[in-house]
Amino acid sequence: MTNASLSLKKRFSHYKYLRGLQSGFIAGLTILGSSLILAFFPTFFAPYDPNVFDFTALQSPPTALHPFGTDNLGRDTLSRVIWAYSVNMQMALLATIFSLITGVLVGAMVGYYRGLADIIFGRCVDAIITFPFLVLVIAVVAVLGPGLINMYIAITLVGWVYYARLMRAEIMAQMANDYASAGKVMGYSDSRIIFRHLLPNAITPVIVYWMTDMALAILLGSSLGYLGLGAQPPEAEWGVLIAEGRNFITTAWWLSLMPGIAIVITGFGFSLVGDGIADLLRPRG
Amino acid sequence: MSSLTYLFSRLLQMIPTFILVMIIIFLLVRLLPGDPAIAMADAKATEAQLEALRQRLGLNEPLWTQFFYFVRNVLAGDLGQSILLKAPVADVILERLPVTVFLTLYAVLFSILIAGPLAAVAALNKNRRADIIIRGLFQVGLSTPVFYIGLLLLTFLAAFLRWFPVGGYGQTFWQHMYHLLLPALTVALYTSAIIMRNLRSAIIEVIDAEYVQFARAKGLSEGLILRRHVLRNALVSTVTLLGLSIGNLMSGTLVTETVFAVPGVGRLMLDAIFARDYPLIQGLTLTFAVLVSLVFLLTDMIQSWLDPRLRPS
Amino acid sequence: MKNALFAAVAALSVTAMTPVQAVERGGTLTFARYDDSTLIDPIYADRNPDIWMVSNLYDTLLRTEADGKTVIPGLASSYSLSEDGLELKMTLREGIQFSDGTAIEAQDVIFSLERARNPDLGPWSGLLGSVENVTAEGRDITITLKNPDPTIVLMLATFNTAIVSKDAFDAAAGATDQEKAQALSTASPVGSGPFVLTDHQRGASMNFVANKHYWRQGEDGQPLPYLDAIDFLVIPDDATRILKLQAGEVDAAEFIPFARVAELKDDANINMELFPSTRIIYSPINTREKTANGENNILASKEARQALNYATNKEALIQLILHGAGKPMTSGLMASTTQLATGTEPLYQYDLDKAKALAAKAGIQPGTEISLTTLAGSADDAIIFTALQQMWSQIGIKLSVEQVDGATRGAKNRSGEFDIHTYGWVNDVNDPAQVAGWLGYYPTRKAVGTDWNNAEFNSLYEASNKEINQEKRAEQYAKMQTLYAEEAPLIFMYETPFAVALGNRVQGYIQTPLGSNEFSSTWIDQ
Repeated sequence: MTNASLSLKKRFSHYKYLRGLQSGFIAGLTILGSSLILAFFPTFFAPYDPNVFDFTALQSPPTALHPFGTDNLGRDTLSRVIWAYSVNMQMALLATIFSLITGVLVGAMVGYYRGLADIIFGRCVDAIITFPFLVLVIAVVAVLGPGLINMYIAITLVGWVYYARLMRAEIMAQMANDYASAGKVMGYSDSRIIFRHLLPNAITPVIVYWMTDMALAILLGSSLGYLGLGAQPPEAEWGVLIAEGRNFITTAWWLSLMPGIAIVITGFGFSLVGDGIADLLRPRG
Repeated sequence: MSSLTYLFSRLLQMIPTFILVMIIIFLLVRLLPGDPAIAMADAKATEAQLEALRQRLGLNEPLWTQFFYFVRNVLAGDLGQSILLKAPVADVILERLPVTVFLTLYAVLFSILIAGPLAAVAALNKNRRADIIIRGLFQVGLSTPVFYIGLLLLTFLAAFLRWFPVGGYGQTFWQHMYHLLLPALTVALYTSAIIMRNLRSAIIEVIDAEYVQFARAKGLSEGLILRRHVLRNALVSTVTLLGLSIGNLMSGTLVTETVFAVPGVGRLMLDAIFARDYPLIQGLTLTFAVLVSLVFLLTDMIQSWLDPRLRPS
Repeated sequence: MKNALFAAVAALSVTAMTPVQAVERGGTLTFARYDDSTLIDPIYADRNPDIWMVSNLYDTLLRTEADGKTVIPGLASSYSLSEDGLELKMTLREGIQFSDGTAIEAQDVIFSLERARNPDLGPWSGLLGSVENVTAEGRDITITLKNPDPTIVLMLATFNTAIVSKDAFDAAAGATDQEKAQALSTASPVGSGPFVLTDHQRGASMNFVANKHYWRQGEDGQPLPYLDAIDFLVIPDDATRILKLQAGEVDAAEFIPFARVAELKDDANINMELFPSTRIIYSPINTREKTANGENNILASKEARQALNYATNKEALIQLILHGAGKPMTSGLMASTTQLATGTEPLYQYDLDKAKALAAKAGIQPGTEISLTTLAGSADDAIIFTALQQMWSQIGIKLSVEQVDGATRGAKNRSGEFDIHTYGWVNDVNDPAQVAGWLGYYPTRKAVGTDWNNAEFNSLYEASNKEINQEKRAEQYAKMQTLYAEEAPLIFMYETPFAVALGNRVQGYIQTPLGSNEFSSTWIDQ
């Protein structure tokens, strides 16, 4: 604990270039923080109910009353974009967390024990990365049927491999260190060596990857929503909102434009934070 | 190790991978809850028609027999009959594949044209203003979903300004170039963002490398250094990165084809999914896997040809 | 000078008074479709994009007027039905030819009809179930029936009985009938309709050229069609299809979303057409005594179903989904454009008081939960759900949604694992027997999966299928429609037109109430 924080501080002061990036990191944290607040308290910020039709304001362009305009059923776009924060931020977590857990466990096991399990694992990785990620995900969604839950299952079925591969490599690198063999000599159990000694040291790159992956999950989730395979209307989700607005893109451009900006800003926030964390944790040179 | 034996050993390595690929594709349809025949048939189908469909798809056979038939048929080039298009899956895919290959190559060309110069400018101005701006732009590029880039280009350049056709493919080579310009640019904007990030680091690494420093110390002109050392190494990195990004590139193509109504295998995949045309979904998934492996193989070959040190001895 | 001016004014007024222009020949029409055809063969066409194209490639012995009801001669120049209804005689027109220039003869008619009624081949053979045999003497053709069949004349004006060339079919490659049909349509298409298929890039594009040997004549006394060729582009995305039309890249786009009809009507370069159709949107109600999880089903009660129907504001739904371009169902069993449709007043006009009274009678407690199964990804279904949820909350019903894909919805319809689900229908044939059998006759498919099994309805339906006295049959149909509406196994919603947007230059295009795309009289104002 002390060691870790010490080394963090050291790295902070040590690298001059960090000063330039720090501002990016802080900007990223601000974006993510605000996104999380919107995601948890949409009722507080959204001026209207996102699903109620208003026939007095059909396809209203942006006005003081409706800053982002309304759609063809009179639903307030701003409110729908804000409500979508809960769905899309939830996506960032739920589409990745199970991959992370499975991947870390499997990666740690095959990295530690190697042998036949490792060979089989290697083949599985080769086979799964032979498919374009999106192709395999939508093929699984096709079989399970469209919807958010099935989308999470599909992404997890494919995504864990990437975590496991990373984890395996890190564990193997850590095992080259003396303390791993020292643990064995001292007669510690395998699980103690893996979970108490190897994992805490090997997990850093996985966490960095996780940050990037969460940004990717939002992009992927909204793409599937746009294609009609992810979240389903009338649920407010950025991809779904863009798809709904697509029909009116020449007459009511705000419908598709606004949710897209929300995606870009949130994705940008995740990337900045991911880069910031990577720079903090990953030794350079 | 000669190139030929290397190629041969790489091909051998692909065999076990492909057995697994086949298992995955085969099991995909078995994940389906309930009866695949009901899922595939029309709502008006009678019980007799359902049974006929089960017979035709071999759904009444034991699983391992079905798998055996599946592998045997695939090896014979028979991917089954598309339910949606009522034609052999292999024929349909071969009909549509050239469009996707064209689009992908076009996008690769754009990616190199965009990522190459920008990465070089960023690397040569490391941590200066130009670098920060370029990196910021590409960070935004990475945060924008492909379908959104496509939609924006389509709306402004095609629908409003009428500079380009609204999707389609055209008949002749030059029509393809014209029709696919915006789709290719869409895929490229996303892919180049991925490539550019790594290419920049690769170039910086070369510039900082000892032999370049040495060349500089010898008084060689910057232009010569750039050509002789930096470009060559940057080329190797670009090929590697493009090769590794092929999955991303294909995913981008799939979405872009849908946005721009380009009749390639990507859009076919979505059509197949909405129609629950399982033989077609299986065939297309296999096609994508084959394409990606071929590109991986090609990348390895080009790499070992450009840089013989990478060849395993 | 004066005279010249006068003549010019007169000429002007004449053109102003006669807006009907003379037809122009030639040109290629580019038509954007929502989905592609797979196999356009009279007997294998089973999806709408196939069925709706058959009449352009293959002609039938009889035809119907544009209203889809009045029968007129086609390849047969005359027809007559014997008094006992057991024999139909027709005379084949003289001098008619297939697109390859060979004569259309009696052997082709026999071949086509035998193929159409062969139960081992296509899905439509049941429509000709009453046919005993088909014989010919010279150009006189006789169809003998096993039993009187009121639908037989209309069936000869239906796509599945269209005439194919026996010689061309026999010469086509392939072992089975289907393989031959496939080969004929791809390798060497020969047809009897106004156009010939020349090229087909599956899922992308399709090309028709004019059949030079076609027999029907246009307004100018020359053989139809007016067009030289048609290029079809398949563009499933609504927005792109419309953008292409607006950009002038295509001449016509079909299946315009209703939300955009008003906008396109205002576009001076576009002629927005709403063709009357037999398309109805309805929701089957599960009428089983028990629900799938074994509980008592409140919807088994007729009053509960009626209450839901009264609580549904169809006009509001039509405004929301069709932007006014539709009308409430007036017959429970069919669209008002179908033959023998009765009823002029909208069924179950929105009446909250009646709905509440019936709900009380049926014992619907406040907070009763009902689930609506909708199609995932369908914007219309999403609106239907949100609207019904608001409307039905007035009678104490808590409506929840279950979103599934089309296949799952179909499976649930079969197994009865639903309360209410969304559905739609377009007639494939002009006679009402098809839609009535689908919606109400239990043996067909448990009355669209509602499990509604009404002995009186079933026997009326069976009798009507043998009744050749048109008046009596109409009476039977009137009874069935009253009975069905009263029993309400469906939420009766609305009828929608076919929305097609045409560029200004396009004239004379028709989509029939059955959905068929008719290009034979289409022409381009050059």
